[in-house]
Amino acid sequence: MIRRLFIALCAVLLPFGAAAESYPAARRIVSVGGAVTETVYLLGQQHRLIARDTTSVFPPEAQALPDVGYMRRLSAEGVLSVDPDLIIARDTSGPVEVIDLLREASIPVVFTHDSFSAEAVVDNIRVVGRALGTPERAEELARGIEADLAALQRDIGQLSERKRVMFVLSAENGKLNVAGDDTGADGMIRLAGAVNVMAGQYSGYKTVTDEAIIKSAPEVVIMMTGRGEHDGRKDEILSLPAVALTPAAQDGGFVLLDGSALGFGPRTAEAARDLHARIYGQSEH
Amino acid sequence: MLNAGDINVKLGGTTILQGVDFHARPGELTSIVGPNGSGKTTLLRAMTGEVPFTGEVELNDRNIRSMKPHELAAIRGVLPQATALAFPFTVIEVVRLGLEAGISAGRETLPAMALERVGLAGYEGRFYQDLSGGEKQRVQLARVLAQIWEPVLDGAPRWLFLDEPVSALDIGHQLTVMQLARDYADAGGGVVAVMHDLNLTAMFSDRVTLMTGGQVAASGSAEAVLRDDHLSRAYGVSVHTSVPPPLGGIYILPQAATSPGLKS
Amino acid sequence: MVALPQTSPIAEAPSGDRQGRARQIRALLLLGLGLAALLSLGWGAADDTRVIGAILSGFGLETGVPVRDTIIVWDIRMPRMLTGVVVGASLAVSGVLLQGLFRNPLADPGLVGVSAGAGFGAVMAIVLGGLLPLALQARLGLSLVPVAAFLGGWASTLVLYRIATRHGRTSVATMLLAGIALAALTGALTGLVVYYATDDQLRDLTFWGMGSLAGASWSKLLAAGPIMVLALLASPFLARGLNGLALGEAAAMHLGFDVQRVKNFAILSVAASVGAAVAITGGIGFVGIVVPHLLRLIQGPDHRSLLPNAALLGAIVLLLADLVSRVVIAPAELPIGIVTAMLGGPFFLWILLRNRNLVEV
Repeated sequence: MIRRLFIALCAVLLPFGAAAESYPAARRIVSVGGAVTETVYLLGQQHRLIARDTTSVFPPEAQALPDVGYMRRLSAEGVLSVDPDLIIARDTSGPVEVIDLLREASIPVVFTHDSFSAEAVVDNIRVVGRALGTPERAEELARGIEADLAALQRDIGQLSERKRVMFVLSAENGKLNVAGDDTGADGMIRLAGAVNVMAGQYSGYKTVTDEAIIKSAPEVVIMMTGRGEHDGRKDEILSLPAVALTPAAQDGGFVLLDGSALGFGPRTAEAARDLHARIYGQSEH
Repeated sequence: MLNAGDINVKLGGTTILQGVDFHARPGELTSIVGPNGSGKTTLLRAMTGEVPFTGEVELNDRNIRSMKPHELAAIRGVLPQATALAFPFTVIEVVRLGLEAGISAGRETLPAMALERVGLAGYEGRFYQDLSGGEKQRVQLARVLAQIWEPVLDGAPRWLFLDEPVSALDIGHQLTVMQLARDYADAGGGVVAVMHDLNLTAMFSDRVTLMTGGQVAASGSAEAVLRDDHLSRAYGVSVHTSVPPPLGGIYILPQAATSPGLKS
Repeated sequence: MVALPQTSPIAEAPSGDRQGRARQIRALLLLGLGLAALLSLGWGAADDTRVIGAILSGFGLETGVPVRDTIIVWDIRMPRMLTGVVVGASLAVSGVLLQGLFRNPLADPGLVGVSAGAGFGAVMAIVLGGLLPLALQARLGLSLVPVAAFLGGWASTLVLYRIATRHGRTSVATMLLAGIALAALTGALTGLVVYYATDDQLRDLTFWGMGSLAGASWSKLLAAGPIMVLALLASPFLARGLNGLALGEAAAMHLGFDVQRVKNFAILSVAASVGAAVAITGGIGFVGIVVPHLLRLIQGPDHRSLLPNAALLGAIVLLLADLVSRVVIAPAELPIGIVTAMLGGPFFLWILLRNRNLVEV
């Protein structure tokens, strides 16, 4: 059929058109991924946004935009229904079939690269800036973040000793779900100049045994703040039998971290600085 | 003819039937009797192909092992002891299943006629599961009748296998159903019935096979088989048979050791 | 005659003949399916789509509708609608076949191991797909998860079938029990694989388990559709045998049915069509139980009319559920499994409570 041929042709030609990855004329943009949306706002281009995904909740104004679904489960028709002329998304967005369909509909899709590192954070700002046609503004922002991160690294270099930190994702029934390698928490701990006690042992978040916790001897325990949580959380965790035997419990080393700190977006430098201060500041008393 | 030779059945390591020979002729009602666990139902099931057996069964001179299910269904119908229906069918829908064999297909009046024959006219729209046990059994009999309505088709007899057809029935319906089986045989069909009630057996059967312990204890005409000695041995109780004048048939009465009456 | 107001609330039939009613219902369902299909094509998050123009332009007519509309109608809604029709019909018909085979109105594909096996296959593909040689990954690409689900479903059914078949006879009871054991085993293996999954993979697994028509595409439909259509077309040939089986296996045999053949065809057809359905849409519950059950209450359990009507009603139910799933929180969408369970669960309970007597068989 003629239509099929046409689409096939588009699919072949599109990648060439998309190579420049800059769409200054785009006025109906869908942003997918919290960090992407934040960056668009910081670049002052929010007037060009028409929709966002479920994970884009900062700044709060963004939540007024239509939600096209969870970033890994986008709906093709949902995205098409807002009639976008550009989609900027984290490269872990999907499903792939939906992305393919969007490209088939001649809608350019620009991907930022997901990685839990400082380099990825600044690279992604440049990618978004280029896509929006505001590379200068993005460069400025990226350099600022680089400078902040460099300053933090200098401070970290001054430390005589790195703290051992354990990130606890959840503590259902006293079983701790702890961050290993390749997690946002691990990336953040490293940026903050500390050592993840589970580094090199496993990747992702896993439930670990009490003995492994005692053996890993964390000096600080980090948890995320959730809705309606209070200070009782600290005592609750530190008094668990396994945790009670660690240096963290003895020194009261406990940090509650805001969930957004793991977003690896423009606020990462700030969040790393803050976490650094709270990990190392706390041990003084 | 129905000829079963050297039938052996083993279920789970236990021998149920051992070297059983069984014969039945069209135009006759042949009953299989015997105490509980003597293997009479198993014999019927072996001859209908429901349980694996060794030995040979021939029906109308054909080995049933070589016959396809639809070929068998064309010449014999089987009434099981009890049938639990999986879904809420109406009575008429159940009887119509008898037409599924294909032989009677398209004969839409048969089910109603069959229902009338078993005394259930007007029950068409009732739900099968709401019927009493006896009514259910008669519905199943109507289904089997719808399957092989003519006792003789194309010169060949058809066969009715009945597994305790009257055990759930009141005396009135017992007679209706036994008479129906009798009529089927009288019209040229063959009837094989596993029976519990010895008096009904005596009243309606041409031939009787008495089973004990998985073997044939006696076989022959009703008069030859239903005798005090045979029955007493088979059932392990004292049995008294007589031929009361008004009936002209054998009458069988078991005698308990302490029974006050019947001191002949 | 005893009055039966309690036991026959829907299916009053003085003559006991419900074929006429079944035919009327079929006509209604055909009409309903047409409407549901039109709704499905015409309604969606992109409510400004010029549907008719887009359909015409697909046939090469110059209608001046934007490419976006053509894509929405031809590449999103059309494959999705057709997928909904075949998957819905397949799930409902598979439900009827299994319930007839197991002589139990609550049987579902889980009993022959399709679901557990397909789930295991999908989980393996999602979590461990990255470990395959790159060349194979590239070749299978997007179809890796569906292919693995289909193979997993088939493999587990065949294993079950082999276990339950001795001397050429398949014991339905053994199959049922072995199915429970196999489901527990694949469940445990799935759990083991899940333990090694990353967070993103876990998210994918969760969504896969809830099912969705969102991933429908022409290529998936062309791969899985023919299997399901073939099984659907074959199903009417099993109807009389299943009616016979309602009386029990022995009685079915005495009625002249080759019971083993009915079992073979029913099991293999269910394994193939449910495997294919699960592969392209993930797990979608309730259709296979609610649709046959509802129809049995309205028109009786005769499989000759039950099978085609279940196919139609299954398709309608899935199309409507999909419509809800994509409109209710547009432009985002709910997984359809959530919709069918949320609508189907309470509805099913209501039916059960209303007809308690009819259920006790």
